[in-house]
Amino acid sequence: MALIERFQKVTDVTYWEGQIPMSYIYTVGRAGEKFFREMINGKIFGAKCNQCNLIYVPPRIYCEKCFERLEENYLEVGTKGKVHTFTQCYETYDGVRKEVPSIVAVIRIDGTEGGFVHWLGEVEFKDVYFGMPVEAVFKDKKEREGSILDIKYFRPIK
Amino acid sequence: MRRVAIVGAGLTKFYRNAQETPKELAYEAARMALDSCEMKLSDIDCVVMGTAPDAFDGVHMKGEYLADGAGAYRKPYMRHFVGGGTGVLSPIHGWFHVASGMFDTCLVVAEEKMSSAYPHPAGAFLTIFDHTTEQPLYPTLIWIFAIEMNRFMTTWGYKKEDIALVAVKNKRNALDHPSAQLGAEITVQDVLNSEIMAWPVNRLDISPTSDGAAAIVLAAEHVARRVTEKPIWIDGVGWCLDTAYWCTRDLYYPDYVEVAARMAYKMAGIKEPSKEIHVAEPYDPFTYKELHHIEGLLLAPRGKSVEMLKDGYFNRDGNLPTCPSGGALGVGNPISATGLMKIIEIFLQLRGEAGKRQVPGKPTCGLAQAWGDLMQVGTVVVMRS
Ligand SMILES: [Zn+2]
Repeated sequence: MALIERFQKVTDVTYWEGQIPMSYIYTVGRAGEKFFREMINGKIFGAKCNQCNLIYVPPRIYCEKCFERLEENYLEVGTKGKVHTFTQCYETYDGVRKEVPSIVAVIRIDGTEGGFVHWLGEVEFKDVYFGMPVEAVFKDKKEREGSILDIKYFRPIK
Repeated sequence: MRRVAIVGAGLTKFYRNAQETPKELAYEAARMALDSCEMKLSDIDCVVMGTAPDAFDGVHMKGEYLADGAGAYRKPYMRHFVGGGTGVLSPIHGWFHVASGMFDTCLVVAEEKMSSAYPHPAGAFLTIFDHTTEQPLYPTLIWIFAIEMNRFMTTWGYKKEDIALVAVKNKRNALDHPSAQLGAEITVQDVLNSEIMAWPVNRLDISPTSDGAAAIVLAAEHVARRVTEKPIWIDGVGWCLDTAYWCTRDLYYPDYVEVAARMAYKMAGIKEPSKEIHVAEPYDPFTYKELHHIEGLLLAPRGKSVEMLKDGYFNRDGNLPTCPSGGALGVGNPISATGLMKIIEIFLQLRGEAGKRQVPGKPTCGLAQAWGDLMQVGTVVVMRS
């Protein structure tokens, strides 16, 4: 076995420090254009497949199950949903310890098959449960810019 | 389709911070696989390479970069990639090349070097998420596993301290594996006391950052019988991808693993997997994933895997040993190489060559499985002696 014994750090051997220097501008897409423009209005939109009788949130231009086009079928789905599952996270995406842990949940939007992951706010971790009714809390209208972050978080419906 | 056998295998030690370049790691595993069956590179008709995100090794188009290290100089060569599921797709990809009649031999290599990325390779996962609906929230891989583990635990009423037994079992098994990075005698309390990452996931519920490579040699039947007295046959293969919209899935049950498993069982003529499979290597990057996968593979009834784990059913001397190698939790987790390490473990177990790790009862049928992409792919291989 040619492998040498483990190093404490990769920088204990001869190395070259490099990077892959690229940045990206991601278009939100045709369905995303509808979704994010309506988000500025404080609304959440989905897309309905009439063949499969289900509603996708966020909206899509096609149904992944039957491959129908859904661009004629965008609809408002309200801003309420239920907690499908959740966690409390103690580290950032690149492995740094957070000062304050954040609660993250998969939200199922009421009346739809869809939903997305977002933060929970105005709630203690110990009080969160599967099926908990929650609603989206939007930023002030003038601060919205057509981003998933226009929703600050979801909070329990009192 | 022709019958295809595994006739040789090679595996590097798994490390954090290996000195070797990715190419050098691939070479060590490939050379060892060839030497193990006394074959030369000139005996190899084609090469397939399994390696996961380019961002780990930090080499864009690393399939091409790795080709010479994998023995592909001026040979037909293809790379495949389904995230963590890659290492068990590797033998499937090689199997196509030989089963089709196109080639008589195929060298299958899997490599990952995760420790080059800093400050932490976890950062490389940010860009696997949807760029407009998820990345702005800075999701981590551990988030989504914690979210899935919670769904799995709460649905079946499983306890964290019971799931922790997977780490205890696998790290202990890994003490007998010469390639292992994290073999150890630990207790359930050690797991529960380790740093909390994202509830309910603690540090010791997670496999480590690793560098390593694995390789096998595949041969058509007429070549296999000439090369070795103990060919191990690939009798069933299956793979399946679920939707990338992971938030729309139930998460408590891996349907895509079941679809892949049923495909492999059908091909192998397996009717009752829990009786006919003697030894298994389900993918265990996290403690709960081993159990999640055992249920998806139909090796335990849904909602019953934890009870069986507590009864010792999955221990090396249990009714159905799982991860006798020590798995990703114990041997280490250089993504694609881990899946192929699992294939190699079943190869050695079925040949009766697993040494201190050998499961009793002379197993003749085994299974390896991996999982990955955005929690959406299942890859399954059934092997027989
Ligand atoms: Zn449809």
